[in-house]
Amino acid sequence: MPRWGMVIDLDRCTACQACVVACQVENNVAPAGPELAERGRAISWLRLVPFQGGEHGTRPELRLVPLPCMHCERPPCTRVCPVKATLIDREGLVAQVYPRCIGCRYCTTACPYTVRHFNWDRPQWPRPMEDSLSPDVSVRPNGVVEKCTFCHHRLQRARDQARAEGRPLREGDYVPACVQTCPAEAMVFGDLDDPRSAVARLSQGPRAFRLLEELGTRPKVVYLSKGEWGGEV
Amino acid sequence: MERSASVSRRRFLGFAVGAAAGTAVGVPAGRVLGDFLRATELPVYPPRGPESFVLSVCGLCPGGCGLRVRRIGERVVKVDGNPLHPVNGGRLCPRGQAALQSLYHPDRLAGPLRRVGPRGTLRSFERVSWDRALGEIAARLTPLREKGRPESLVLLRNGARRVGSRLAQRFVAAFGSPNDVTLDRGEVSTSLALQLGQGLLATPAYDVSSADYVLSLGGALLEAWSSPVHASRAYGHFRQGRTGRRGKLVQVEPRLSITAASADQWIAVRPGTEGVFGLGVAAVIVAEGLYDREFVAEHTAGLEDAAGARGEPRRGLHALLERDYSLERVAEETGVSANVILRVARELAAAQRSVAVGPRRGPLLPGSLHGHLAAQTLNALLGSVDSPGGVLVAEEAPLAPWPELPEDAVARRGRGRPRLDGAGSGDFPSLPSDPERLAEAILSGSPYPVEALMILEADPVFASFAPDRFAAALERIPLVVSFATLPDDTALCADWILPESHFLEQWELHTTPPGVPYPVVSLSQPTLARPLHDVRPVSEIFLELARRTGPEVAAAFPWKDVQSLLEAEMEGLYEQKRGAIMGTAFDEALARMMEGAGWWVPGYRSAEELWTKSRETGGWWDPFYDHGDWKRVLKTRSGRFEFRADVLERRPRTAVAGGREQPKPDALALVLFEPLALAGGTGAELPFLQGILDPGEEERWETWADIHTETAASLGIADRDRVTVSSPHGAISVRARVGLRVVPGVVAIPVGQGKRAGGRWAAGIGANPLRLVSGERELFSGLPDPGATRVHVSKATGREPGGPADRRS
Amino acid sequence: MEKFELGEDARLLRPIERTGRAFWISAAILLSIVAWGVFAYLSQLRRGLSVTGLNVPVYWGLYITNFVFFIGISHAGTLISAILRLAHAEWRRSITRSAEVITVLVLFFGMGCVILDLGRPDRVLHVLRHGNFTSPLLWDVTSIATYLTASTIYLYLPLIPDIAILRDNFPGRKWLYRTLALGWTGTSRQQRLLDRAIAAMAVIVIPIAISVHTVVSWVFAMTVQPMWHSTIFGPYFVVGAIFSGIAAILIAMAIIRKAYHLEAYLKPVHFNNLGLLLLVMTLLWFYFTFAEFLTTYYGGEPSHMVIFLSKTQGRFSPLFWTMIVTCFVVPFAMLANNRTRGTVWGTVTAAVSVQIGMWLERFLIVVPSLSNPRLPLTAATYTPSWVEWSLMAAFVAAFIFLYAVFTKLFPIVSIWEIHEGRERSLEEVSARVQSYLPAPAGVEHE
Ligand code: SF4
Ligand code: SF4
Ligand code: SF4
Ligand code: SF4
Ligand code: SF4
Repeated sequence: MPRWGMVIDLDRCTACQACVVACQVENNVAPAGPELAERGRAISWLRLVPFQGGEHGTRPELRLVPLPCMHCERPPCTRVCPVKATLIDREGLVAQVYPRCIGCRYCTTACPYTVRHFNWDRPQWPRPMEDSLSPDVSVRPNGVVEKCTFCHHRLQRARDQARAEGRPLREGDYVPACVQTCPAEAMVFGDLDDPRSAVARLSQGPRAFRLLEELGTRPKVVYLSKGEWGGEV
Repeated sequence: MERSASVSRRRFLGFAVGAAAGTAVGVPAGRVLGDFLRATELPVYPPRGPESFVLSVCGLCPGGCGLRVRRIGERVVKVDGNPLHPVNGGRLCPRGQAALQSLYHPDRLAGPLRRVGPRGTLRSFERVSWDRALGEIAARLTPLREKGRPESLVLLRNGARRVGSRLAQRFVAAFGSPNDVTLDRGEVSTSLALQLGQGLLATPAYDVSSADYVLSLGGALLEAWSSPVHASRAYGHFRQGRTGRRGKLVQVEPRLSITAASADQWIAVRPGTEGVFGLGVAAVIVAEGLYDREFVAEHTAGLEDAAGARGEPRRGLHALLERDYSLERVAEETGVSANVILRVARELAAAQRSVAVGPRRGPLLPGSLHGHLAAQTLNALLGSVDSPGGVLVAEEAPLAPWPELPEDAVARRGRGRPRLDGAGSGDFPSLPSDPERLAEAILSGSPYPVEALMILEADPVFASFAPDRFAAALERIPLVVSFATLPDDTALCADWILPESHFLEQWELHTTPPGVPYPVVSLSQPTLARPLHDVRPVSEIFLELARRTGPEVAAAFPWKDVQSLLEAEMEGLYEQKRGAIMGTAFDEALARMMEGAGWWVPGYRSAEELWTKSRETGGWWDPFYDHGDWKRVLKTRSGRFEFRADVLERRPRTAVAGGREQPKPDALALVLFEPLALAGGTGAELPFLQGILDPGEEERWETWADIHTETAASLGIADRDRVTVSSPHGAISVRARVGLRVVPGVVAIPVGQGKRAGGRWAAGIGANPLRLVSGERELFSGLPDPGATRVHVSKATGREPGGPADRRS
Repeated sequence: MEKFELGEDARLLRPIERTGRAFWISAAILLSIVAWGVFAYLSQLRRGLSVTGLNVPVYWGLYITNFVFFIGISHAGTLISAILRLAHAEWRRSITRSAEVITVLVLFFGMGCVILDLGRPDRVLHVLRHGNFTSPLLWDVTSIATYLTASTIYLYLPLIPDIAILRDNFPGRKWLYRTLALGWTGTSRQQRLLDRAIAAMAVIVIPIAISVHTVVSWVFAMTVQPMWHSTIFGPYFVVGAIFSGIAAILIAMAIIRKAYHLEAYLKPVHFNNLGLLLLVMTLLWFYFTFAEFLTTYYGGEPSHMVIFLSKTQGRFSPLFWTMIVTCFVVPFAMLANNRTRGTVWGTVTAAVSVQIGMWLERFLIVVPSLSNPRLPLTAATYTPSWVEWSLMAAFVAAFIFLYAVFTKLFPIVSIWEIHEGRERSLEEVSARVQSYLPAPAGVEHE
């Protein structure tokens, strides 16, 4: 089974946030308004986190890091879920079962990357906005937790397509929405175990590092940067 | 027993109260349970029907990205990039990704509206039919021609390069007015510099993807750049796309912008001194003889002193640099140490392919001509003119030209009248448009009064440098027509709103976006069988208006409908026998190679095939760039690139103000910028874009101002304080962000929020810093110079209850 | 067997016989608070957890704080009473009942807090259908359910002889007492069985009780979050639980003593003895807290230090130092001094102080770690909403109300155990004491 992973090249990333919006559109995330944002409840499966350096000198350094779910191979979140509503699925993705989730938010507190979101309110799409919702992704009700799924519905679609064409899944068949749109081509997706894949090559290069890997989570999102990075985190 | 009796009475009362309470709780409890169960249902109904994909073009900025739109039945459920499109290669910026929110926006105008009450509110409008609206507007326009005053019709628009916009321009010209005014000025100074140096009327393109070293003099390269996705792709390639070659980006500006944060080095200069820094670098390059001698000798003029046409002495660039841009002086004015200037000059000269980028800020904000000339001077010294990794100029897209305007005496006379905005004459002969002066002309009624104003994709009551003057000016005009899709600030001041259809609902043809070095013609198709509302494409509106305005005007529009116009243009393209249909990277390489060798492999054999294939691939382009075609790109009288010491001699005011005297803390320099999400003053309408205004910060639905820690301390302002920023022209209330993201003595504020209208997500959110801007102009170019504005910043009195400050640590 | 001779202990039945104005007024007030809480919960059901002050990343707040706090209090009864029983501490006789009731009742409210905190309370049974035993939350469910069962039995067993007394004295409520008395007549066989069962339960209940708060601590400690992921959290929580549990007993005793005029049964010596226990726990609590904070400080790991500093110097420092004062300074001052410890007001002041402090301790464990995520996201502050405060108040009110109702149905001081103490213990104790001493010369040990 492939080990799906994402590489994000911070040397290329322009912090444009196309990935952020693409994810919201693709995954039927309801837009927040000023009130929700103000209360810290806007949902975004992918955010840019600011790592600041050099504040002591005169010139600050600001690095903006796109942060989806790391799809950890040893995820702290799945272990603590009392009802197996978040689990590692057959494809190795950390999945979320909305109809089962009881909304205890244990997983959200256990995830060291703070990438999980709770539906505090019922999502709202003023008419006729709901007409733009994708049929591939279920809309989450009030009271459950959600997070980046690595766009697993796209994997299902790609597998169906490949099966229909009677061929194996090829690199590039399965590309998440954020990766597809990234203008700087900073994001790459694929099978980390396939030695010919771009992600495998890049993730073994000298610029590669992972966030908070010292916690033993074994993230499958790999960052690339020319500078010293792991230490800053 | 008395006591037990009282107890039992109390007990009875207790039961009664209990029962009442039970009912009181039980009934609402049932309702709540119902609500709760409903909240757990899926609130939406998934679309049904077959899946299909339609190719279109994004209309949310001038970038011209190709779209591949996913439909399920009669609903559009996702917009992604068209992978075959050469501008964006399947990628989209966040604005493009949010396109569906504009299509399905709940506050879209549903049909033609006529104002029957006071200006400024949507309640004053009533729905009318298209027939009545067009009929009444035509009936108001026709008399203007009859009275021989066609020039009193004015068109105010943005700089979009699409058929709808070109038809509007043609309508005004055929009607007989010289007053075609554009509001966006993002490209003006770039083009002016090119005109001065190379004698070309075009927008230059920087070939970042092939460069090794980019020195950006305040260019918003990674923000609201000319064609943002094109620029980001180029940047990605520049950085990591070539094995063993990592491009270096150095950003010069007073603010830690996204570009500066991404750059290898941010050189924080005083505001307005980017050009001074660039010329300081140029001075070092000249002084140390590091320039490209071959290019300078063969293709440039004006480096050294020479005699002019009539024998008068003309100062050369060399002398100017020595006199005005000595290392010490530049260091003092910019606030950058001499070492840094020296190092940048040497690195720039040493790099194989280096290019300097001018201060282009976004579609709306004018950069400075001084800064662009500095960049251009550097590029000529480096030999980066029309070379790989240098400054390129795209060829015109060879669409079939439209027929000449028919002979019409009324129109000819009208077009001969002076423009109301005075552009192209007087003090600033090279300025193509001057909307603020138009507002003054409307208010004064001179040189002649305005009878009718048509506003296309422009919102001057919000996004000009004199919003309040425009609001007042609109009241003076008897007939104001807006084509807004959402009720924007200007539309609410109009007499008529003829909502144009959304770009995903109509046919369009877009030509080469600014900043792209090769000609592109993109076909945009409707993605829905019919528009969601009773709206029409703006091109159809103008064809119909022409028909109704009399035979003379109608004669200028010989096309049956928009689609036949597009087909006719494409036919001209076919006849040129060059370029190719859009295709994969392999197709591109093949076409480029073949064309370089003199062959033509178009992928189509007839005009019809070009049309059908354009619908399937996105359009046509010509990937072949003929570098060093000097006859085409050096159109000056000398046929050489001209260093313009004569222009550069006139130093910008802001440079002096920001440089010589330290700005006083109570008179800070205003630095405006356009976040990508709000490029061109639009975007605040869409909630996903409001959510990403400031990368790395949590969603903020308010306007903030960056202030340096020291400056803030001297003003007694703390981080997250609400502050009032005021100038003689106005005052706004914003949230202070105190830190090191700007140089001292500056307040940096994003443009794009603070609308009075614009739908539920824009109206009343944030503040509009354009209201602060003073009327100062840049010397020579005459462009508005918002950076010359000096503002006072003070802590707002009274704390807003429950502001986000309360949520922070 | 003949009717049980109540003698002077008849006064212990007085609360059941007579209900005065004060009770009804208190009940009305308490029930109004509960009704307000019901209203608050209805609005939470309708609008979801958006009515709380929670946000990203402070996903847990008052509800979870109260969960830990209530479960902590539950260590009052069963555990203390079991230990005292096993230790044959004779002064226990008048206090065990009031302590055991606290346990049984408060456990319901502890579990209730978790239900309040759920985004989807309608799916609570998924915990049974899809239970995931790697989740400490499931360990909690298991261990608390076991504890609740064991505590209920442990409360019930010593209640049986008293229920029989009630059956014989209150013919009007025979329908209730006859069933519950299980045909108790006080035969020596019955008595022997009961003694054996109580002794067995006392042994069983202790490890269960310890497991409960250990497992509660593991909800936090099993994550990798800074200042949660700590090996001493198990014992630290257990110590804190016993600490707040003893304080709860002291407060309950003082109220019962005053309300039902039981000065003769709940004497200063009882307060003094429990006060001594509380003093020991004060010192233990301080030892654990000190160890926990010193280890964190010496480790100096940045992500831990952020939270350490936010507690000791930052945003949470007012709460933190109040906790140190109320959990340590005040009780230590009151209890280490013989003169204050010997008085009811002295021990009760210490107990109330401890209760406040321990609630703060729970809050300071839950909230600061969540407020400072590892990655540089904007830190958020959490202010509980009116709904959360209302539900907290309602839970406390409901607990007090049910406790009062219990005192109206059953004797809050164990009648038969007092009786037994009077009849048998003197000889037993003197025999026991004899057995500790060296035998007089010439007498052989068997
Ligand atoms: S889309 Fe790409 S370039 Fe833009 S922020 Fe995301 S990762 Fe960075
Ligand atoms: S990043 Fe967080 S949510 Fe994602 S798998 Fe890892 S622990 Fe779970
Ligand atoms: S919130 Fe849902 S997914 Fe998360 S731990 Fe609880 S039940 Fe599992
Ligand atoms: S992989 Fe899919 S779900 Fe995850 S951040 Fe990207 S777009 Fe969102
Ligand atoms: S860059 Fe402009 S044209 Fe391209 S997707 Fe973004 S908004 Fe649309």
